[in-house]
Amino acid sequence: MGALLQVRDLSTSFYTQDGVVKAVERVSYEVANGETIALVGESGCGKTVSALSIMRLIAEPPGKIVSGQVVFDGTDLLKLSKADMHKVRGARIAMIFQEPMTSLNPVLTIGRQITEALEIHRGMKQSDALDEAVRLLELVGIPQARRRAKDLPHHFSGGMRQRVMIAIAISCQPKLILADEPTTALDVTIQAQLLEMLHNLTKDLDAAIVLITHNLGIVARYASRVYVMYAGRIVEHGPALAVYHDPKHPYTEGLLRSVPRLDEPRSVRLAPIEGQPPDLIALKSGCAFYPRCSQAESQCGEESLDLVEVAPGHYTSCRSVLKGERR
Amino acid sequence: MLKYSIRRFFWIILVLVAVSFITFSLMHLVPGGPWDRQKELAPQVIENLNKKYGLDQPFFVQFGHYLWNLLHGDLGLSYTHQDRGVTEIILQGLPKTATLGITAFLIALLIGLPLGMAAAVKQNSIIDYISVFFSTVFASIPGFVLGIFLVLVFSVSLHLLPTGGWGSVRQVIMPAVALAALPAAYIARVTRASMLEVLRQDYIRTARAKGLPERLVLLRHTLRNALIPVITITGPELAFLITGSFVIENLFSIPGVGRLFVQGVSNRDYGLIMGTTIFYAFAVAIANYVVDILYAVVDPRIRYD
Amino acid sequence: MSVIAETVRPHHTLWGDAFTRLKRNRVALAGGIIILLVALGAIIVPFVSPYKFDQQDLNVVLHSPSHGHLMGTDGLGRDVFTRLFYGARTSLMVGVFAQVICLLIGLPIGAFSAYASQRVDNLIMRFVDVVFAFPDLLLIILIRAILGGSIYMIFLAIGLVSWVNIARLVRGQILSLKQRDFATAARAMGGSSTYITLRHLLPNSLGPVIVYVTFGIPRAIFAEAALSYIGIGIKPPTPSWGTMIANGYENIFAAPYLVLIPAVAVGVLMLAFTFLGDGLRDALDPRLRR
Repeated sequence: MGALLQVRDLSTSFYTQDGVVKAVERVSYEVANGETIALVGESGCGKTVSALSIMRLIAEPPGKIVSGQVVFDGTDLLKLSKADMHKVRGARIAMIFQEPMTSLNPVLTIGRQITEALEIHRGMKQSDALDEAVRLLELVGIPQARRRAKDLPHHFSGGMRQRVMIAIAISCQPKLILADEPTTALDVTIQAQLLEMLHNLTKDLDAAIVLITHNLGIVARYASRVYVMYAGRIVEHGPALAVYHDPKHPYTEGLLRSVPRLDEPRSVRLAPIEGQPPDLIALKSGCAFYPRCSQAESQCGEESLDLVEVAPGHYTSCRSVLKGERR
Repeated sequence: MLKYSIRRFFWIILVLVAVSFITFSLMHLVPGGPWDRQKELAPQVIENLNKKYGLDQPFFVQFGHYLWNLLHGDLGLSYTHQDRGVTEIILQGLPKTATLGITAFLIALLIGLPLGMAAAVKQNSIIDYISVFFSTVFASIPGFVLGIFLVLVFSVSLHLLPTGGWGSVRQVIMPAVALAALPAAYIARVTRASMLEVLRQDYIRTARAKGLPERLVLLRHTLRNALIPVITITGPELAFLITGSFVIENLFSIPGVGRLFVQGVSNRDYGLIMGTTIFYAFAVAIANYVVDILYAVVDPRIRYD
Repeated sequence: MSVIAETVRPHHTLWGDAFTRLKRNRVALAGGIIILLVALGAIIVPFVSPYKFDQQDLNVVLHSPSHGHLMGTDGLGRDVFTRLFYGARTSLMVGVFAQVICLLIGLPIGAFSAYASQRVDNLIMRFVDVVFAFPDLLLIILIRAILGGSIYMIFLAIGLVSWVNIARLVRGQILSLKQRDFATAARAMGGSSTYITLRHLLPNSLGPVIVYVTFGIPRAIFAEAALSYIGIGIKPPTPSWGTMIANGYENIFAAPYLVLIPAVAVGVLMLAFTFLGDGLRDALDPRLRR
């Protein structure tokens, strides 16, 4: 298939005092070279954990990658030695985190935080690395880059810090970038700028992106395919436009409905999804969405389905949708 | 940075003046004069002595003189040692106390820092349990109790080390260890807690995501941040060590400043008491000042205050 | 709706929750039990012992622990066991009462400072800084030298020096809590300052204060032992662990148990309070709450 990244049946759990939290449960997705896919879902649905699992950044107690494979460029990352994994991180797969305010080391200069990756992965000498760091800062739109490279993170605003994070991410020319809600913590106007910049930069690098977000607007614009996650599982996935215009799962429908739309009159009330996300410790058998689902049947509460293709490239795990399709 | 240092400096001076004033007043509040001792002194003698020590002058005049002398490094006269001034007496004891204090400090660092770091890096391992046990126990037991145990084991039972006195290396070991135990325990505890706290931070995750080897993550990213709180507590610990713990000096019969102070108190030598108190406050103030500056050096965020 | 009801966890109060957690902490429990035992001993032993604490018997000077004397005798033939528990009495009293004085002075001053105007608050805090500039044992010794006299003066001396920590702590707590949302909410609902302080802020500040007091007791015990060891503490013949150590040290080669026993006593009691304090601190930390 030539996929760059193939996550197959990944399961990650956390062992806590209160019980076992099955944060990611048999999740599979794949990304082709240079493709952008989106991983969508509410907070706590496991999307970040799945990305951290790919990078093997899960803290071993209390977490553990229980089973599955993460095949990147032909190699199962989960089987690599620690030393080899270090060579992958930052150099071939990079990650951008959600919280720019806390993701940078407060006592090291911005320049240093970029050059250290360059020194380690591209073997650059300090002076060359600094020049490259300045070039990268300019690329991400930081004015007076050479001077600002000597500054500390607290001199930068949130948006600027996130640009720095992007600079760090692309510095070693990775083939895959995991962007975990890169703009959620920022103002709306900056969000658009940053995403556009990220998109362009990665096009130049021919890098693939896994865009993790709960913002459906972004999905439509940048991603070619979308995976919808709920309670640690993928409930639907398919081409972005198809999922958008013809959702095949009640949860996806609910998500789409709950976003205010510009083309509807203001008096239309928002339609939130009833209920709360489930407690991942006390998961019952059956479909995870069952308690909140308006289209549910009793069988849904007992047995869950694996993903089934209902349209070209478009998969769902919803029994009632499948029934409806087969009609 | 400079403004910060200067501000702190002036503050220290103010504090020292206040300390002198309080000490001075306290001394004058003591019931019974300084001459209330075993032998009865003739009233004429008392009058002469009072004149000599300036005790017949009004309070603030005395204080004024005292402050003036302080500025010249003159800590006044001792009431029991007629031949030497307080400054001289203290200077005789200082090298011993300082040696003891510095040795103890180094021991505390050499034990506390590595123990705390190892415990944080290998959480829930044997090292972690030992470290926590060590910190809790030695942070609670006072130095002189530990000192007594050491003497009982190494002097009384094993006859390996002398029970006290000063002059040889063997005589420094036990008092320094006894004195170092508490600071070592605190340093281990704070280092461990601080490193654990830092290791949880997002920026450590970023560092790992960059593919940095764990060694660099620890040394370059974690340590510098983790040491900041450690330095903060080092200040009071240093002060604690400088003041030499009068009790330890007493226990091991070390003729340092602490012992002098205690003797002064027993003999009601107010000149000596005042002088040593001021000296201590001064030493503590300097130690805290140095730590404040050090803190600003290590944490660049503070400098932009 | 049943969906929501399923996800609610059972109700815990702060104190109930804390107590449960404390009970589970075996080390803290051990500390608490030791303290209780010592306290019981301090009350009972002086009553039931066949010996008085100052009863000298020059025929049995410096006898090792034996049948008649569970912990041996000292240089004047006095029973060590009895004296030890009289000393326990002294230590516990000093420890607790010194902290009581600390609270009586420190709590109101700290609370007051948190509410007073910026200038008054500053003044008070500067004063606190000055007291802080003295090494605390030194100041205690000084004040003791001035006050002289009985055991009550020792509580006072220790209390007069240590209150500053409590004041700072309380002030800090109240100041930070004052800003928090729940205080603003209370004020928005019309609560007066006094009401807010008493009903909302103080109970929330109590946690660290309780922990601090628990740690303060062994410090006071140590201060008393140190004072007595130096010779300006409890006046003989009243037993104090400090004086017992001082006297015992003179005979350290001949009768090591004389010095060992009170030293162990001081160590164990201080350890017990520290374990208890650690346990309390963990139990009361709202961040560790489930």
